[in-house]
Amino acid sequence: MAQLTAAPLSALVDEPVHIRATGLTPSQLVCLRASLSDEKGNLFYSQAYYKASDTGEVDLEKDPSLGGDFVGVHPMGLFWSLKPETPLKRLMKRDVMNSPFQIQLKLCDPDVPITNRDSSTLTASLTLERWYVAPGVTRIEVKEGRLRGALFLPPGDNHFPGVIDLFGSGGGLIEFRAGLLASRGFATLALAYWGYDDLPRQLREVDIEYFEEAVNFLLRHPKVLGPGVGILSICKGAEIGLSMAINLKQISATVLINGPNFVISNPHVYRGEVSQPTPYSIELISSNALGFVAFHRVYEQTGDVDSQYFFPIEKAQGHFLFIVGEEDKNINSKCYAQQAIEQLRRNGKENWTLLSYPGAGHLIEPPYSPLCYASRIPYVHPNILWGGDVIPHAAAQEHSWKEIQKFLREHLISTRTSQL
Amino acid sequence: MFQLTATPSSALADEPVAIRATGLPPSKVVTLQASLKDEKGNLFQSRAFYRANKAGEIDLEQDPALGGDYVGVHSMGLFWSMKPTVAFQRLLKRDVMNSPFCITLDLYDSVCFKDSATVPPRVSQMVQRWFSGPGVQRKQIREGRVRGALFLPPGEGPFPGIIDLFGNIGGLVEFRASLLASSGFAVLALAYFAYEDLPEKLLEVDLEYFEEAASFLLSHPKIQRPGIGVISVSKGAEIGLAMACYLKQVVATVCINGCNMVVEVPLRYRDLVVPPILPALEYSQVHMSGAVSLQRCFGELLNKSNHQSVLPVEKAEGKILFIVGENDECIHSRAFAERAMDQLRSHGRSTGRMLAYPGAGHLIEPPYAPLCFWSWQHKLACPVVWGGDPVAHASTQEHVWGEIQKFFRQHLVKTTNKL
Repeated sequence: MAQLTAAPLSALVDEPVHIRATGLTPSQLVCLRASLSDEKGNLFYSQAYYKASDTGEVDLEKDPSLGGDFVGVHPMGLFWSLKPETPLKRLMKRDVMNSPFQIQLKLCDPDVPITNRDSSTLTASLTLERWYVAPGVTRIEVKEGRLRGALFLPPGDNHFPGVIDLFGSGGGLIEFRAGLLASRGFATLALAYWGYDDLPRQLREVDIEYFEEAVNFLLRHPKVLGPGVGILSICKGAEIGLSMAINLKQISATVLINGPNFVISNPHVYRGEVSQPTPYSIELISSNALGFVAFHRVYEQTGDVDSQYFFPIEKAQGHFLFIVGEEDKNINSKCYAQQAIEQLRRNGKENWTLLSYPGAGHLIEPPYSPLCYASRIPYVHPNILWGGDVIPHAAAQEHSWKEIQKFLREHLISTRTSQL
Repeated sequence: MFQLTATPSSALADEPVAIRATGLPPSKVVTLQASLKDEKGNLFQSRAFYRANKAGEIDLEQDPALGGDYVGVHSMGLFWSMKPTVAFQRLLKRDVMNSPFCITLDLYDSVCFKDSATVPPRVSQMVQRWFSGPGVQRKQIREGRVRGALFLPPGEGPFPGIIDLFGNIGGLVEFRASLLASSGFAVLALAYFAYEDLPEKLLEVDLEYFEEAASFLLSHPKIQRPGIGVISVSKGAEIGLAMACYLKQVVATVCINGCNMVVEVPLRYRDLVVPPILPALEYSQVHMSGAVSLQRCFGELLNKSNHQSVLPVEKAEGKILFIVGENDECIHSRAFAERAMDQLRSHGRSTGRMLAYPGAGHLIEPPYAPLCFWSWQHKLACPVVWGGDPVAHASTQEHVWGEIQKFFRQHLVKTTNKL
């Protein structure tokens, strides 16, 4: 009798799962399929083909997948290779507190996924729970002054290093990464800045004083360790994160994932000083064979080469961790990180670390998140290419998540008051 | 005064079109968009961004696209880079006699990259792409078991005869046959399953059916004797190769991206039954889009010694031209063609020739056909990746079309009857 086991059945999304099949015939070819339905009912699937051992077992920690969504030994491959049934859907958990993602694992005959046969001789299946918050993490709706967002606090009575979590993309409030970071011991403020609640429906300007309010709010909180806070930011969020790090003294540690080192689209404003957006050449966008659009060349004549546009990063006092996906097709991440680092070097500064990942795309997320290769952004474009090759992208996500936590701990917790 | 010209505005689908724009603001970056609705109402589109020169002109034969669906100088780029607005759809003309594809060319005086432009185009032009030339006749064929459509060029003939075979798409696909007929060949688009009273599913390849078709063609008063050609793609190319091996009347065979082995279903010819080799589905790979690449499933077949399923190409008396797309994601075309060529050589035969095209995918079609990178395949539950890099695939289609006609003219046309 074929059986499927997975441990743990319920865990945080950044925790690995050990999957095994037993009770097969020796050398039997099987297909393992994973499926997930997101909160809107969109289906995501992945599959891998394995050959059972002489003892009729498949162990994903040792055995290579022969084909399907990935090839080779990848114990978590079924998770990070999940793909939407409807093209261009992005997997993103909205309610992070009250429910997990449920992933169904099924054993079936190898021809089933391609021929869609109704019957299979194999029927073993199980359901996994993947949570974005650990037990005891609390979520506090933030609606103070102009601030709109959600503060996630780790369990316990301690003080925790404070981090502001900033996304880019389509605005709104994205909470999943903040929930996860809080589960790892950081008081994390998921901060919205447009397209949410009574915030502007469209982003007109980046008002750094709004973000300064957020920093002060965090530092005022009784559970937040001072004297500085960190930033975890991606894309447009990283553009803002960099601007914050330069202007606000209390920023001790800034993680910049695939962001520009110049102003994009909307002017930055801080106490009367305005930094204008960098001119771009939109005609340099290009579609690949599937019609997905790459935007990474549009600053080829300006931000890619001309230092007049660059942020004065040398003025920042805190530390930087640059995370770069070298196959980023949305922005020329590798170039911008290098430019920023060069500028720091020229000014005699060593307050930076670069993690550059070959094969990784734009949307570097927590471990085991499916690679989102392309998706739509309302009002911007129906099919934006983010890029990335699935296997190196998955490895980059695993590695960078650990490095991000190490970096934030190193620069936010001084040795005297180390709590974690 | 914005002006857009496309010359010729009505032509065969394999003929190039010269597109020019004039009266633009000097050095302005504009958008050229091509749109087409197929016979089912599915929309296909492409766009490219050009910069006008100081005289306010754009000439697609000389000027590079800066971005969009292609980059660089590609005068027919708007045609071959068209993509369906709904994923996995394939562009395929069904009625090849009575109507053309109508392509609307729109010029916008700014960079428009969203699917629904917020401003109207400044000027538009309509281009018609026909799949049959003036005077080409189509005759529905229901002779004995043979089912298909015979396309005859205008005139008395006799014309070199060709059988046109497509693959697992089934039914009757006519557009390539009608285009070839427009170049002076008598072409029988031959169905072999899922058409009229033919079997609904392909359970075996009965070579006697194809022999009947070859005999039918050779008995036609407007068709040259004593030999015919075959043009075939994918599963059709496997059948075409089998025809070349076993049927003496087949003197020139073009095999595009086919296997040199009998695959999936057995081949029967009189007393002979050639067992098929089955693709190993566990080696399929899911592409980024969710579509499936089957290339390695077939590739694995090459590792096993399945002599009984290999087609005996050394028995072919006529000439064989293997056309290979090196980025074919459906089958490992190059490896199969090379095996066939090796087999010919090892038997001292010089009847084969291989043309391999880097960057080209599985569905190599007549020139300017949009690259179909992936599409639904009715047998399977998921869409299939055909592969191909757009620019390389487009130049391959142009080159191949010329080579195919040269090949047929060389080996089918008798020296006394020059075309």
